[in-house]
Amino acid sequence: MNRTLLGFIRKELIQTLRDKRMRVLLFVVPVIQLTLFGVALSNEVKNIRLASVYSPGDAVMQKIHDRSIASGWFLPVSRQAYGDPFELIRGGTADAVLVAPPGGLTRALGRGDAKLQLLLNATNVIEAQAMESYVSAIVQRTILEDLRLDPPEPSIQVNSRVLFNPSLETAIFMVPATLAMVMIITTMVMTNNAIVREKEMGTFEMLISAPVSPAEVIYGKTIPYVILGMSNFPLILGVAVFVFGVPMRGSVLVLFLAAFAFVCTAVALGTLISTFCKNQQQATLAAFLFLFPMIMFGGLLFPIENMPVSIRWVAYLDPLYHYIGLLRNIMLKGGGHAFVVTHILALGLMALVSVVWSFRRFRTTL
Amino acid sequence: MRLFWNRAGAVARKEVFHILRDPFALAAALGLPVLMVIIFGVSIEFNMKDIPLAVNDADQTRSSRMLLDRFASSGYFGVRRVVSPQQGIAELTDQKARAALVIPPDFESELISGRQGQLQLLIDGSDNSTVGPVSNYVNRIVGAGAPALYDLRARYLFNPELDSRWFVIPGLTVVIMAILSILLTALTIAREWENGSMELLLSTPVRPVEIIVGKLAPYGVLGVIAIAFVYVIARAVFQIPFVGNLAVFGLGSLLFLVTYLAQGLLISVVARNQQVAMQLAMVTGMLPSNLISGFIFPIESMPAFFQYLTMLLPARWFMRIARDTFLQGSGLIELKVPFLALTFLCFAMIFLATRKFKRDLEP
Repeated sequence: MNRTLLGFIRKELIQTLRDKRMRVLLFVVPVIQLTLFGVALSNEVKNIRLASVYSPGDAVMQKIHDRSIASGWFLPVSRQAYGDPFELIRGGTADAVLVAPPGGLTRALGRGDAKLQLLLNATNVIEAQAMESYVSAIVQRTILEDLRLDPPEPSIQVNSRVLFNPSLETAIFMVPATLAMVMIITTMVMTNNAIVREKEMGTFEMLISAPVSPAEVIYGKTIPYVILGMSNFPLILGVAVFVFGVPMRGSVLVLFLAAFAFVCTAVALGTLISTFCKNQQQATLAAFLFLFPMIMFGGLLFPIENMPVSIRWVAYLDPLYHYIGLLRNIMLKGGGHAFVVTHILALGLMALVSVVWSFRRFRTTL
Repeated sequence: MRLFWNRAGAVARKEVFHILRDPFALAAALGLPVLMVIIFGVSIEFNMKDIPLAVNDADQTRSSRMLLDRFASSGYFGVRRVVSPQQGIAELTDQKARAALVIPPDFESELISGRQGQLQLLIDGSDNSTVGPVSNYVNRIVGAGAPALYDLRARYLFNPELDSRWFVIPGLTVVIMAILSILLTALTIAREWENGSMELLLSTPVRPVEIIVGKLAPYGVLGVIAIAFVYVIARAVFQIPFVGNLAVFGLGSLLFLVTYLAQGLLISVVARNQQVAMQLAMVTGMLPSNLISGFIFPIESMPAFFQYLTMLLPARWFMRIARDTFLQGSGLIELKVPFLALTFLCFAMIFLATRKFKRDLEP
């Protein structure tokens, strides 16, 4: 490596790390974020406020209600608040209301025409489905027990086993994805801003008139951010593994290779975006334009498989999608060869295209 | 007081010129939310279909084929044949399948002799959100349903068809506008410091609170127009019902936008440097409003401490207002808590930005 380039990289690192707030943002905040989201987030629906409407002597309904509360998924709604079931939900007092048939469930079961109604607040689609499956399981169990019937023996029995995360721990599933999101902010956005700042301040013209080649300028502006991104990675990874107990089943070397491919792609994309921006305000909005869809298509918030095929192709252009997939695959499953190779290559290809494109943009715009 | 409005107005006018001079920012502020809502409104779907299922049929009989036909025709699963259980696991590892079903060689003979036919189902646990639905669908297809002793009927209020779009689009609007608002103002004051125009502005008789108000107003108008666009798209393109009071929604939008714009200004005042401001905006805007505002991950399921923490997030309150006014038709009385919280946060942000700004001036 030549001396100009080394000097360039040193200058850039010093300039970035000189600011104490920047050091905090780069090395402390990601760890806080990972901890925050790792502990707080969960797909499981809990603490559902349940009201059960029935007359006092209805023993089976009483049992269903008590069981629901004891299950830990539900919280009881205070009986003073009871009124019209629909209004209970609309007014935000309850999330679900179970209504006994007129005359009581106990008697209706004796007659053999028990009709229960379950009102659910379906503003949140995911919650509504979860609430329904909880309630129907509890209702079934209680009624069968009350009628002293054994659970029906199905002719086919399914023995299910959950692989890779048998206890379905949320942190194990969330942390790799959060790690990826935290990393893209410190790499892509930083690079983009750093280059646009020089443009805005006019120091970029100075660089060009200096006796350095355009390649040196570009490498000098990007390599420091690859270094920063990679020095960040072991730190965040350490928190994921040692604090959250995310298993590390694959090879650490492969994981670092994946991280390196991702950081290079993110930095290259940041560079490419910077060639289209004139000032930092534009850089900010451009970062939003790219970052937001990346998070959406990353596979954390929404399952990609459910999207229409034409749109799934957009997800394949999302570095975050590949990286989250790689992290989960390598850490939880030990890394399937075909999968790891495909996605690392995809990241590499994206990095290459962005670098070539940025070179051409730089040449024409300068 | 008249002087106050004059001076704040002058700052606002200057900011308007600044916005108009840069058509890119203007187009981004108005176009991005609409674009994003259209893209994600079309693409997001929670109800799963064609889940790739690796099947190893070691039985190869009429019963096993009939069972697999049921899987294939259910629409939930896309069946992929594999030759051994090991290959099924390999498909899971390589993420070509979400679950693997193994039919043992004695499946039919067990059924004929009146015993239970055994199936083995292996589910990929690396994505928590799919485990529940996959095992539910399998049980439904195999037919381990409830006996007809009673009838439990669920009624989905406010979204009877469980349409994912009705749930996602109002929430998406909140998330997008939160991030955009912070980003719009996060650089404004830092930029003036970096360019040196802040010294100029300070030598005029404009007071800090007037600068803050003057900088907020134009972006507030821009944000309200953007939300109006998104509202029209949601109603006209995606046919999402709006049963609430438009004025309540509008008031909520305004409070919410001003709060986030003020948060952006606070960041700008604190950072004084556009690069730091940008990182701060991303950290406080992008991830929290996506992840802990109740957009997808339910707040009620969080540990108590984090539930309290989310109360500091304006997006959490407006999420409730947006969803409830759209689908439930809630009014100010039902939404008094979110509105009070949002008003409080709004004034707190403006107050903090002004105070911090003042303190910066007096060394």
